[in-house]
Amino acid sequence: MAAEPFDVIVVGSGAAGGTAAYALTRAGMRVCLLEAGRFYDPERETPMFQRTAAAPLRDAGTPDKPFGFYDATVDGGWVLPEEPFATAPGTEFRWFRARMLGGRTNHWGRVALRYADHDFKAYSRDGYGADWPFTYAEFASWYDQAERLVGVFGSNPGLPDQPDSPPGCLQPPPVPRSFERLIMAGGRKLGRPVVASHTAVITRPSNGRQACFYATPCLRGCSIRANFQSPTVLLPPARETGRLTTITHAQAYEVELGRDGKARGVHYVDRLTHRHHFVAGRAVMLGASAMESVRMLFNSKNSRYPQGIGADSGLLGCGVMDSTGSNVWGQFPQMENLPPFNDDGAWLPHVYIPWWAWPEQRAGKLPFARGYHLELYGGRLEPSADTFDFFDSVSPFTYGRKLKAEARRYYGSFVRLSQRGEMIPREHNRVQIDPVLKDAWGIPSLRFDVRWSEQELRQTAHAQQSMAEFIEASGGKLVAPLPQDPAQAILPPGRIIHEVGGARAGVDPEKSVTDAFGRVWGVPNLYVIDGGVFASSAHKNPTLTIVAFALRASDHLKRELHHA
Amino acid sequence: MPDRRETLLWLLRALALSAAPGMAIGSLNAEPRVIGGTAGAAGPPAAIHGIDADGYGRDPDLRHPRVTWPLTLEPEQKTAVAALADALLPAEEGSPAASALGVPDFLDEWISAPYPQQRTDREVILAGLTWIHSQTAHAHLSAASAEAVVARLSALAAAGREPQAHFFSRLRNVCLIGYYTSMSGVAQLGYVGYQPSATFKGPPPEVLALLGV
Repeated sequence: MAAEPFDVIVVGSGAAGGTAAYALTRAGMRVCLLEAGRFYDPERETPMFQRTAAAPLRDAGTPDKPFGFYDATVDGGWVLPEEPFATAPGTEFRWFRARMLGGRTNHWGRVALRYADHDFKAYSRDGYGADWPFTYAEFASWYDQAERLVGVFGSNPGLPDQPDSPPGCLQPPPVPRSFERLIMAGGRKLGRPVVASHTAVITRPSNGRQACFYATPCLRGCSIRANFQSPTVLLPPARETGRLTTITHAQAYEVELGRDGKARGVHYVDRLTHRHHFVAGRAVMLGASAMESVRMLFNSKNSRYPQGIGADSGLLGCGVMDSTGSNVWGQFPQMENLPPFNDDGAWLPHVYIPWWAWPEQRAGKLPFARGYHLELYGGRLEPSADTFDFFDSVSPFTYGRKLKAEARRYYGSFVRLSQRGEMIPREHNRVQIDPVLKDAWGIPSLRFDVRWSEQELRQTAHAQQSMAEFIEASGGKLVAPLPQDPAQAILPPGRIIHEVGGARAGVDPEKSVTDAFGRVWGVPNLYVIDGGVFASSAHKNPTLTIVAFALRASDHLKRELHHA
Repeated sequence: MPDRRETLLWLLRALALSAAPGMAIGSLNAEPRVIGGTAGAAGPPAAIHGIDADGYGRDPDLRHPRVTWPLTLEPEQKTAVAALADALLPAEEGSPAASALGVPDFLDEWISAPYPQQRTDREVILAGLTWIHSQTAHAHLSAASAEAVVARLSALAAAGREPQAHFFSRLRNVCLIGYYTSMSGVAQLGYVGYQPSATFKGPPPEVLALLGV
């Protein structure tokens, strides 16, 4: 490494780190990108046309591959033997990790919604948590850039909770699929909008990428580069500059400060050899994922920061959030026994149900402060190990010719509505370093203490009711009655894989961990650029905001280094 | 002489159940739960489950899928499974029987897999096969007797009788997966896909008319 003086050390190669590597190398800087996992090339490795019939267990999820054999995630999962974490007594937390180039951009739902102005001012509007350190107007141009870079299809229906994008940012959305049209009809009856989803899949060729060809399951990854993954969209142009050095299997664990109090580099351990290394740079950006970046800060202890860099305010690790999530399944008699037709589309959502009750909520008429949107899945996707999950309820005890007739009848007639809602940030929902637990490389592990409050439960009760109304208004029947208690419906924290917070960005060093650009207070050349900086987490999936924030932070760093 | 259902219940209990969720190590204030790590990760003893193989791991070759664990059904169990699968999913005009689409092999792959859901299914299904064996005079299950067994299981399940209801449910579910995710099964359900196209035109007009949208 001595031969290679780096401008910036970037930790993590996903939405945050990949974006920084892209922006910084193209701005002329030499970047060393540290990735904990292996090299991964979606163009070469994605099982695009492999059929379910050929996969072990017909692609059913297992602890080795939780979203199925063909899922893009490799060397990841909910439970990693080498990387334990702890949960406080009486709490649950699910933590999905992907140790591979591109991280969790390889498997994600790709719903890419902008925050609205009121999302950045959540505290000002209801008194919970904290505001973001900037307004929508100040941030909007970064969303424009992020949408063009990522490649997002969607529309601009002019809704109060969904800012329109300027011309040239969004690609045309594909027409809705059969089950989506049913729900749209239900929405019209209810007087609630069902509009084009904003989904990170391109429908027109752009930036050298091919458009979606509507043929293969998106969550396996995309060898034609039509969907957004860091290794297909962000890293190739960074590599082309000749200024990107990528080190894989590099588990970063500590930021070292120089005598001047500035970051001088990053310590990492090679996961294969267990050897320790140090790599120096003029600045450091942490994009290791919200929880991993927080863990690194806690583990960066020195005489100036005995509790870890960024821990002065006492807020490091505090305010961990996930999206709320719950599901309701409907069965639609209109969809039974349909003739064969291709309804794969872009595989991911073409439409979604935006948060329609925001004006009502703003007026204080709802018993919960923050909103949610609904996503739709189902219809006539390729039969899978989940296809017959409801047969014990819709066609119990059948066998023989009757069972085969029932299989043909019911296939494709199920639709899942999924709540994705905002969780209120609370300081007691936090991660700390466990005093005992370490990973396989001896790095202290995290301990989670995160729980839902009455706010999330009331929101979930409302969402469950709304999903049932949508299903019934669309001519469907609930597969099972709604649980009486929303605590039975809400998924455990972490399960939606939108965990953010813990290194909140703000304007006051006493009340935040970083400044508005993600710079850790007191260390002007150390940035947190991932979901860690989220002061609040709107119901909108975090990736687009992470990319936009990382673009903005990279631009800031570029100007700082030019001044220096 | 004990009732045969009792025998099966005993078997199910004897074979129960899955791994403890993990082991607590250390604490800040009280004992936390640890997710991952090596403590408690070994799972249930291999001797009970009859499965000590490794899974395909977290980084298998996705473009060349391969089952990495040995199949474990004894020949007579496999014969019984084939007869049961064919009774559940029989041959019809233009639609093969389950055994013709490899469902018995798939069920063997499923219940031989070293993963929690499959281990649980293994216990239920092997216990069920033992029960069936104890109910029938002959070593081999004929097609006619398999139909009778499936009819009886269905009736017992409908009456809420456990563990037969659970056995019927799991056997039927694994057979349905094996049958309808096969290439023939997929075609029988009318799934059409994996067809690259420059545009997506949406459902055809006749489908929209049927849907009323």
